[in-house]
Amino acid sequence: MAAEPHDPVDGEFYVGYMPEAPPRLARRTRGLVLALAAFVLAFGALLVSGQAGFGYGVFEYGTEREFEGVIEAAPYPVLAIARPGGGASRYLLSSFGKHGAMPLVSDVVGRRVQLRGTLAYRDGLTMIEVVEGSVKPVEGLTLPVEPAARDLGEVTLIGEIVDSKCYLGVMKPGNTKAHRDCAVRCISGGIPPVLLVRDSAGNASYYLLVGENGESLNDAVLDLVAEPIEIRGQLRRYGDLQSLHAAPATFRRL
Amino acid sequence: MSLGYGAVGWNRQKRIYDRLIVGGILAYLGVFIALGLALFPEATLETILLRGLGTCAFLLLHIVLSIGPLARLDARFLPWLYNRRHLGVSTFVVGLFHAVFSLVQFHALGDENPLVSVLVSNTRWSSVSSFPFQQLGLAALAILFLMAATSHDFWLKNLTAPVWKALHMSVYVAYGLLVMHVALGVLQTETNPLYAIVLCAGVAWIVGVHLLAGWREKSRDVDLVRARDEFVDVCAVDEIPEKRARVVMLAGERVAVFRYDGKISALSNVCQHQNGPLGEGRIIDGAITCPWHGFQYKPDCGRAPEPFTERVPTFRSRVVAGRVQVDPRPLAAGAHVEPALIAGEQGGERNGS
Repeated sequence: MAAEPHDPVDGEFYVGYMPEAPPRLARRTRGLVLALAAFVLAFGALLVSGQAGFGYGVFEYGTEREFEGVIEAAPYPVLAIARPGGGASRYLLSSFGKHGAMPLVSDVVGRRVQLRGTLAYRDGLTMIEVVEGSVKPVEGLTLPVEPAARDLGEVTLIGEIVDSKCYLGVMKPGNTKAHRDCAVRCISGGIPPVLLVRDSAGNASYYLLVGENGESLNDAVLDLVAEPIEIRGQLRRYGDLQSLHAAPATFRRL
Repeated sequence: MSLGYGAVGWNRQKRIYDRLIVGGILAYLGVFIALGLALFPEATLETILLRGLGTCAFLLLHIVLSIGPLARLDARFLPWLYNRRHLGVSTFVVGLFHAVFSLVQFHALGDENPLVSVLVSNTRWSSVSSFPFQQLGLAALAILFLMAATSHDFWLKNLTAPVWKALHMSVYVAYGLLVMHVALGVLQTETNPLYAIVLCAGVAWIVGVHLLAGWREKSRDVDLVRARDEFVDVCAVDEIPEKRARVVMLAGERVAVFRYDGKISALSNVCQHQNGPLGEGRIIDGAITCPWHGFQYKPDCGRAPEPFTERVPTFRSRVVAGRVQVDPRPLAAGAHVEPALIAGEQGGERNGS
């Protein structure tokens, strides 16, 4: 029927503004606090140790290097650097923060330049975060440093659209749902959108996403990033870069 | 209890409590970050810190939400309740750090104002797996902010206890939003089943401990009023320990019937401060003392000792043949009622007026 009056601990009664807590209650509270502290710390250790890992992309934060090569825009800005043994390595370019590099290089496309920047790289794909004001045209060989793009036919690929800057190592993790908003902001800012495809063994391949007419697709893919997606399009190899040319309207969420 | 308003009415217990909060938060973050960077050398500090702050705030919220029902189930948790508001404000502050770091990490240095970006970057409202989870976290943070900003007794007094209490019940809305924030956010990235299990266990714990406390309360709340009696028999005098009370349900209201110094007084069980259960308190220095925050009331009139102004409704009582009887009709808050005298303890049996 009626509520039994509480019997706080062995007849003791706690009043918070009293200077001392009743001794037995204080002792038991200390025990509970210690038990909770042990639980909380063990819980934190459990949570942190269960994470899936952060990927092995590298961003050489704080380290700037000098580069020299030819600026290409197909359609995303790329620095083609001649290899000592022939051919060229192509490095994607970005600007500081969540911005693409096109404003920094638009007036030197097709020209040989020197620039300074910070490397980000993963699985053989490399990006330079270009230091603003460091791009300087120099005399020397311009395009083409190697034959034009090769058409490898129509393919259907399943993967995830990522922003190439974060995924290469600037942010970890730089893909999936938790990173979606950042990827949207980066791609909206001009960072090249890339289709990340993994084979059954987990090996990654990257495909720059380009429109059917060679246009950039930054704005068109914003609503599709960080989701499983299927794209049917024309595969092209462009030196050591691969691009997938397709109409965004045909991109299919899975 | 305090008469004027200060930022915090500091006392020794609050200082101890707050040191434990700060120490606990720093220790948790220390373990999380140190172990995170040791186990995952490829990880970035920002991500580990962001996750440490997020999990810390969510864990704190579980502790905050557990204290109320645990204190109803076991009086040993009453000391945890006394300064719970500081724990709640700490939860908001840690959550705010998590939110600010997220805002900088995911939305700053872009082509949109970060505060706008967080609202417009993901608009896949019709999708479950892609649902905008950051907005859920933002909404929860807004609620926690509202609660933290109004946590002071100044707001409790000016908003009135029922409004303040209703406002602060929105913590359960914030909790629901945060559960979804986690489920639709990091759980979509981290595939280890550990996290889904932990989240479900947390929700089950919070729901379970509330249901258990509610069931215990309900099982006690048997209304003794069966007819329009003037006086209702509530218990024998001997069933009430000295300087303590027995809580009974009369006409839908809990009434605390106190025994002290050979007398019986009945008052509303609801403390005017935060609706604490007065009947689970004690009479200290002649005043009923609430077990939650120590607010005090004089037993014969339900008024806080001057200069304090809180008042609770009183009830007429009488002692007949060793049985306590209470009139279930409440009198005005603060109305004086002559205590019923207990035969043999104060010189004879007498009806209350």
